[in-house]
Amino acid sequence: MKYAQLIRLLVNRELTLRYKRSVIGIGWTLLNPVLTSAVLWVIFSFVFAARLPGQQQFAPYLMAGVLLTTFFNQGVLASAESIAHNGAVLSKIYVPPQIFPIATSIAGLLNFFIGMIPLALVCAISGQMLSWKFPLVVLVGLCLALLVAGIGLVLSILFIRFDDTRNIVNVFLMILIYVTPVFYPLTILGPKLQVIIQLNPLTSYLEIFRWAFSNNAVVNWVDWVYMFSTSLISIAVGSRLFRKYWPRTVAML
Amino acid sequence: MSVIEVKNINVTYRVLMNKSSSIKELIRDAIKRKARVIDYIALQDVSFTVDKGEVVAILGRNGAGKSTLLKVLAGVLPPTRGTSKVGGKIAPMIELGAGFHPEMTGAENVLFYSALMGREVKGVKERTPAIGEWAGVTDHMDFPLRTFSSGMVARLAFATATDQHSDVLLVDEVLSVGDSDFQAKSKARIQEIINNGAAVVLVSHDMRAVLELATRAIWLENGHVKMIGNPEEVVAAYEAN
Repeated sequence: MKYAQLIRLLVNRELTLRYKRSVIGIGWTLLNPVLTSAVLWVIFSFVFAARLPGQQQFAPYLMAGVLLTTFFNQGVLASAESIAHNGAVLSKIYVPPQIFPIATSIAGLLNFFIGMIPLALVCAISGQMLSWKFPLVVLVGLCLALLVAGIGLVLSILFIRFDDTRNIVNVFLMILIYVTPVFYPLTILGPKLQVIIQLNPLTSYLEIFRWAFSNNAVVNWVDWVYMFSTSLISIAVGSRLFRKYWPRTVAML
Repeated sequence: MSVIEVKNINVTYRVLMNKSSSIKELIRDAIKRKARVIDYIALQDVSFTVDKGEVVAILGRNGAGKSTLLKVLAGVLPPTRGTSKVGGKIAPMIELGAGFHPEMTGAENVLFYSALMGREVKGVKERTPAIGEWAGVTDHMDFPLRTFSSGMVARLAFATATDQHSDVLLVDEVLSVGDSDFQAKSKARIQEIINNGAAVVLVSHDMRAVLELATRAIWLENGHVKMIGNPEEVVAAYEAN
């Protein structure tokens, strides 16, 4: 593909630029999820830790949730913003605009994979064995990247057309954190509430993710179907809508 | 053989009357059925061709549609009607340094800008020192772009854009980059690219540059082609207007 090298440069820029002026640089990618998880762990460990099913340790349980929702939230916002940010380029040089959200999603995916290092460490420290299924997190990451890219493509058009979308999306993402079992186990909820939480696709991604790295979590085949279908639908619908509305949107840049 | 072939293109922008891009107002307008969207015609029925080695200058006042035309030629803006065919490699010098990032070094920016223009990264890497030297910023290539002066940035962008052979050069007021030495140097380089057989479309308010470089001129007024012909006549008519 002709634009592969451009995507590579964009991903590289995305990964390094954020920490360009900091001392430990990309080390923050390792440290950020640890710190966020540590804060949440201090706050919630007394509340929920004792109630995790199957003797899962709370620290890695929490950190998996943090890594996954960070990838989703930051990925969606950054890829949705990427086209507006690069408007100056897109209105002067022809490049397929889709490469910007795509590169952002890939950067998010790489950050997610880098996050596996501290996750493995936290597992080791809290005395939980890593499962042999661990490589399957690659699948979860790829599906999540497709989901993020699809949503990002649609939002990037909306962000240019309506300024309000930004605020709505921010609120929505905040709610999403709470309806995803990041720091509480699903089993503490009543059956009705559980159904609602499980309607959230991120719950399936997270359950599979936890199942993949730990020996004592269980996962349902419905989660697998839900994960694959939502990611494929997202990227298919997202790129279609983008192609349809882009010609009318480019004039607004 | 024409490198650029533009046939009956129209470009209309849909403009909200009082540019209010909020969902609330959109819903309100939809309910009240207030037609607040108007079509702004930026280009109407524009046709021309540019052959290899030809330099076509576009003249016109601000808002005449010159930039819109360049965007259509660059392939960035699809025309509402008509067709625009541009063959070969395009070097869009519409705004120098679009895509430059202040936190990346000079060398990284050269690479990135070249990749945006669809060039092979490997070849550019080898050329980077030469590009820096031509722009006169060799000592700065490894520093972030924010430490460059604006003249240095423009020179680096010009040097990058013109470093490789292109079939089509789209130039928007970039001949006035840098000091007089560099201006002479950049004019010579453009001339060299023209001599190598590129087709050039040039937007400029600098009539001297137009007379010097152009082989044909197009005068745009309110999105129409008002006059098309040899540069001396068109410039004379434009200036008399």
